[in-house]
Amino acid sequence: MRQAGTYSGMLAVMSGKNVPHSLPLARIKKIMKKSGNDVKMISGEAPIVFSKACELFIEELTRRSWMMTLKGKRRTLHKDDVASAIAATDIFDFLVNLIDDNGREVEGGFGRRGEPTS
Amino acid sequence: MDSMDIVGKSKEDASLPKATMTKIIKEMLPPDVRVARDAQDLLIECCVEFINLVSSESNEVCNRAEKRTIAPEHVLKALEVLGFGGYIEEVYAAYEQHKLETMQDTLKGGGKWSNGAEMTEEEALAEQQRMFAEARARMHGGTVAPKQPDIEPNPES
Repeated sequence: MRQAGTYSGMLAVMSGKNVPHSLPLARIKKIMKKSGNDVKMISGEAPIVFSKACELFIEELTRRSWMMTLKGKRRTLHKDDVASAIAATDIFDFLVNLIDDNGREVEGGFGRRGEPTS
Repeated sequence: MDSMDIVGKSKEDASLPKATMTKIIKEMLPPDVRVARDAQDLLIECCVEFINLVSSESNEVCNRAEKRTIAPEHVLKALEVLGFGGYIEEVYAAYEQHKLETMQDTLKGGGKWSNGAEMTEEEALAEQQRMFAEARARMHGGTVAPKQPDIEPNPES
């Protein structure tokens, strides 16, 4: 059984960050399978790659959202800040379905990607 | 609150554990910063959407490569195609680290007899019986000289 301390320690040295929090691989795999109609078999290692990619994604989105919060001279990160970050970043275009033009979350927007809900 | 509660409009959609996500989010920010609950929820939804996006693209990459199983390299290619090429280095490093870690677990898992190869059941059984014999011998005042384990490092295993 892998020792949590050793693992975290090694990664901390490598990435210079604190203890990394791994997202559950089974959950990731489930989401992957639901992402399309004809998803192929997924290797055991693919979710691991996803786990790290998700972490980086969240970090980037959080960081950009936080910049919006700072612009507004606030100390609480609001949903609108996330929406602004999405609107301002090209590679986050795929997320516009989750927010409407007012920067608020679309009701029922979460689901199969790309499908309009209203 | 259950840390595994599902965040999503549709019951059949899987989501990611809030507690883990919250930790990742909070670690990015100064300690005195607060994150509104709805902002957290949106961030989690974005992450799931990200997985959806990259999964679809990975599936495509896999198809084009005429493979049947989505492998890490397909995911890395997908990330690049989608504009997340900046993640590739770190993601790959984490993947390599994990492989190294898993390999070390395998080495350690067999105990002192392990030399990277897995023992067959017969070998393990023989080893166990040898240990019992040694123990018995010691109990009986050392009438039987304990045998040293004679497993030698096997380079080609």
